[in-house]
Amino acid sequence: MKYIAQKLGLFVLTLWAAVTLNFFLPRLMPGSPADAAIAKLSQNGPVTEATRAAIEAQLGVPTGSLWDQYLSYLHQVVTLDFGVSYTFYPQTVSSMVSTALPYTIGLVGIVTVLAFVLGTLIGVAAAWKRGTWLDSLPTLTGSFLSTFPYFWTALLLLFFLGYVLHWFPTTGAYAATSTPGFTAEFIGDVLLHAILPALTILITSLGGWIIGMRNAMINTLGDDYVTFAEANGLRGRTVAIRYAARNAILPNLTGFGLALGGVVGGSILVEQVFGYPGIGYLLFNAVIGQDYPLMQALFLMITVSVLIANFLVDILYGVLDPRTRR
Amino acid sequence: MTSTQNVRIPSDHTGDGIAAPSRWRAVGRMVATVWGNTKARIGICILGFFVVVAVFAPVLAPYGPKDNGFERNGAASWAHWLGTTAAGEDVLSQLMHGARISLVVGFAAGILSTIVAVLIGLSWGYLRGVASEVVGFVVNLFLVIPGLPLMIVIAAYLQNGGILMIIAVIVVTGWAWGARVLRSQTQSLRGRDFVTSAQFSGDGSARIVFREILPNMTSLITGSLFGAATAAILAEAGLEFLGLGDSSIVSWGTMLYWAQNSNSLLTGQWLLLFAPGLCIALLALSLTLINFGVDGISNPRLREGKGR
Amino acid sequence: MSMTTPASGTVSAAENDVLLDVRELSVVYASPGMEPVQAVDRVSFTLGRGEFVGLVGESGSGKSTLGFALTRLQKAPAQISNGRILFGGRDIRELDAEELRRQRQGGFAMVLQSGMNALNPVRTIRNHFMDVFRAHGHVGAHERAGRAAELVQKVGLGPEVLDRYPGELSGGMRQRVSIAIALSLEPQLMVFDEPTTALDVLVQHAVMDTIQALQKSENFTAILISHDLGIVLEATERVMVMHEGRIVEDARSVDILERPQDPYTRMLLSHYADPRAETISIPGFVDMGTRKREGKARIDVTTTRPTVSARQARSADSAIVVEGVSKVYPAPRRGEEKVTAVSDVSFRLEPGEALALVGASGSGKSTLAKLITGVEKPTAGSIRFGDLDVTGLRRRALRELHKDVQMVFQDPYSALNPLHTVEYTLTRPVVNYTGLRGADARRRVLELLDTVGLTPVEQFAAKLPHQLSGGQRQRVVIARALASDPQVLIADEPVSMLDVSLRAGVLALLEDLREQWGVSMLYITHDLLSARLVTENILVLNRGRVVERGETAQVLRHPSDEYTVSLLDAVPNPARAKGAR
Repeated sequence: MKYIAQKLGLFVLTLWAAVTLNFFLPRLMPGSPADAAIAKLSQNGPVTEATRAAIEAQLGVPTGSLWDQYLSYLHQVVTLDFGVSYTFYPQTVSSMVSTALPYTIGLVGIVTVLAFVLGTLIGVAAAWKRGTWLDSLPTLTGSFLSTFPYFWTALLLLFFLGYVLHWFPTTGAYAATSTPGFTAEFIGDVLLHAILPALTILITSLGGWIIGMRNAMINTLGDDYVTFAEANGLRGRTVAIRYAARNAILPNLTGFGLALGGVVGGSILVEQVFGYPGIGYLLFNAVIGQDYPLMQALFLMITVSVLIANFLVDILYGVLDPRTRR
Repeated sequence: MTSTQNVRIPSDHTGDGIAAPSRWRAVGRMVATVWGNTKARIGICILGFFVVVAVFAPVLAPYGPKDNGFERNGAASWAHWLGTTAAGEDVLSQLMHGARISLVVGFAAGILSTIVAVLIGLSWGYLRGVASEVVGFVVNLFLVIPGLPLMIVIAAYLQNGGILMIIAVIVVTGWAWGARVLRSQTQSLRGRDFVTSAQFSGDGSARIVFREILPNMTSLITGSLFGAATAAILAEAGLEFLGLGDSSIVSWGTMLYWAQNSNSLLTGQWLLLFAPGLCIALLALSLTLINFGVDGISNPRLREGKGR
Repeated sequence: MSMTTPASGTVSAAENDVLLDVRELSVVYASPGMEPVQAVDRVSFTLGRGEFVGLVGESGSGKSTLGFALTRLQKAPAQISNGRILFGGRDIRELDAEELRRQRQGGFAMVLQSGMNALNPVRTIRNHFMDVFRAHGHVGAHERAGRAAELVQKVGLGPEVLDRYPGELSGGMRQRVSIAIALSLEPQLMVFDEPTTALDVLVQHAVMDTIQALQKSENFTAILISHDLGIVLEATERVMVMHEGRIVEDARSVDILERPQDPYTRMLLSHYADPRAETISIPGFVDMGTRKREGKARIDVTTTRPTVSARQARSADSAIVVEGVSKVYPAPRRGEEKVTAVSDVSFRLEPGEALALVGASGSGKSTLAKLITGVEKPTAGSIRFGDLDVTGLRRRALRELHKDVQMVFQDPYSALNPLHTVEYTLTRPVVNYTGLRGADARRRVLELLDTVGLTPVEQFAAKLPHQLSGGQRQRVVIARALASDPQVLIADEPVSMLDVSLRAGVLALLEDLREQWGVSMLYITHDLLSARLVTENILVLNRGRVVERGETAQVLRHPSDEYTVSLLDAVPNPARAKGAR
């Protein structure tokens, strides 16, 4: 329990640090993002005082103490009020984010966990059968695929499976013709649209998990408890799974938490290529349109999601390692 | 014990260059270990190929990278092996010149972020108590904050900063992993008796760090350099692809950016997409392969051969 | 058989029922690109049922390699290149993987040297037993819980350890658990590979007792692999001595003691003595009491004193005075007790004196070394070196202290930077403390090498640590400690990591330095025999407190404290074993 409390404390602290970083980021930049944002917004029509205040709280104003700005920024974050987007005027940033978030969590979240589980299993097999084709094939393919830039994999799949073979739709999360709702038809459509982006993330992230687990398990296979287990005549499967792999999963899990940020980053590029209406695609559009309020809110969202995922990984680690329970 | 009252001292020898033989022998052993790994050998060959192409690009490339007087969207032909772009430039020539950007950005950002990682990792490994916790917290923060989104946001604020901006952004977001690895190695080394011995020999902290601890981390540092360079190459390509760099230069990332913007997917010019991406992947792969060999130095269990 | 066959002592295994028959067994280490190394060289022997045999050899003799080969646990790059291993009449080299696995129940079992790490950190002890029972099915599902409890009881542990994780047990407990797990296989043959080496002296002794008792009560055949001839002679009835991959002697323990045939065995044996004896002699060594009485030096050679002495510029020799020193470490985790490493210790180390600081691990002796050298600060009390208050020293002043107070480290493999030549390592203190530069510094380095007996000096100066043997490394470590011409040497277990045959040489060197250079020495050890050889006075530490002090010979021959007695009892002593039989 002490372990969980400790991790929770660390999580809250990291969360605060990330939120604060998000506050300082635009203020550290040359020029005045806030002025630029307001100027841009005024092209759409008159800017209300409330909107102006919201933007200034988020991006910084030349006047007013930093501390006051910080407080009103914190208030914004807590109430999830990020102001108005001006590329998608007059929608609020919050509503934009909440529309996009489910798609990203559904796609990136599920696929990442899937890739990790799959990669770990393959890594176990590779380490156990070290020096055979079962080792060299996944290791080499994995390390080759993991050097593919995310967006390139996406482009290749899109071109061959989308444009050339017409197996999958090429853009969006669902066809323009289908009506959103809880119908089997719509859900099937969504799944069909998700296959290519999911495949991209799977292909590019799998190799890292395979190699990570393989190396971790090669280490544990050299440990004394594995030798002792063999000396005691335990079955190969027991030695591989309950002794070698069970211990190797611990460092691999830590690696998973730390690599998560990279996967989420890569999926932004994937969403952009497939025009998939998630957080990444939105971020790209915000950047192109210099929509700073939206951009800031999205960055915060992405960071917070990764932090939460890391916290969950920490908890899982605590469950798996009895040494944390003392 | 023999009693030798007069030790014969060679008179032609001065005290200089005392550590020289050990340094070179150690480096020699390292290179031999890396070269002995088949994967690493392939990696070194691929990397060497790209370096040669990049260095001699002006000589090797059939045309200038920005010569745009050719047929637009041309298919592969004898004159243009990989076809031409929508702006009428020769793809092969662009590819060869693009190698320069990727290599420069990869290694510049890789080296710089490794330097940051070494400095922070070493001092962190040497710190104790609250200071260590604070550094640890900052490193962890940089580790978990997703790098690419942060780069995108920073790059968006610094409109069209060019290559230097991209290098800077990659360094700022990319040093944490190396720092973490080097820190734990520092901690384990500083517990070794030879570090305490050096203190007893009257050596100062700086000398201990740079002459006793650092040389023992050569393989780890090399490993994190290649790792950081790989990440930098991929990140640079990603940023360029999103149009966040200077899109007027010729690099593999901008080639892909222009290819997508000119809808080469629809026109069926797959080579335009395929070639730059493959180059990025191969370059990154070469570094990853070299790291297989480097891993074997610091962790003998990972050396090649049948384990069990 | 290719080994020497002592006329009187060969054990007639044929009389018994033969369990293990090893013929012409060879094991080579073959790594690609390297010359194959013959670790075990055509070894033959037989083992009767119920026998308890010791396998003794120094590091690199091939004894562990042989042990792993016998149980078919050898891993690449080691491979059996020749010979047969007949276990119960069947060659185990011919078993396939599944047959081999089955053979491990009711066949042969092994207890590893690093029993501390032999348990899976994420499984409870109970699950370790269950894994074994499930793998072989030799214990019915309903009896398993009871059997596990019974087994841990046999090795002297309570049933509550079953629900613990390995990390929650001490080193000795973990080694006991791994013995119990091996026992759960109901093996006919048990191979113990250095089962107590990683453990504390007192624990070592207790675990050995347990192994001996089990061998008698469970009646398995056992091979005890050890580097320590003393331990083996005490525990087993028959001993095989291994040297450079071959068994050079195979005889009953009593015969080895009384009529050792092979020169190597004789050499090993000569390094054992009872620290309680009236006089002690090991090769090149007569104990200090005798020497004083007879008024002669230990051996008739002199070491070279450096031509340039740094001490001339300094004040007169001074004593180290430790008064009421305590060291309390903060609790390792919140909610746990603070750790008192040293508690109210006082003593003086006079110029030229040799003082032994003995105790088991955790007695606080190494902490005292850190306090005296200023590496750590005491929580109470004072430590003075001459006029210098050691406890208040900061970085620069600490360097001044180290000019006079130097340290010899325990582990010669960790005390030298693998990347630096011997010359670089020795040049640093010379440059830092004596102010010599260039050719003068080099001259001094070569003198130091000559002093510690590493000749030809120029060859040794150019070597890297991995090109040196353990004994040579330790000589370099000593040379480095001497470089500043110190007044005090703190030697922290300087020979405990060395093979027995190398220890005497290093001890003799320390002893010479003290006599010729007048260096005083604080000799920290758990090894009472070596303390007897090189020190005049002794201080026995138990849990941070001094429990006994006095003249070394006096204290060891007539110990008054119980703890000192138990330390003495833990010293392996072949002679005592003979007496008992």
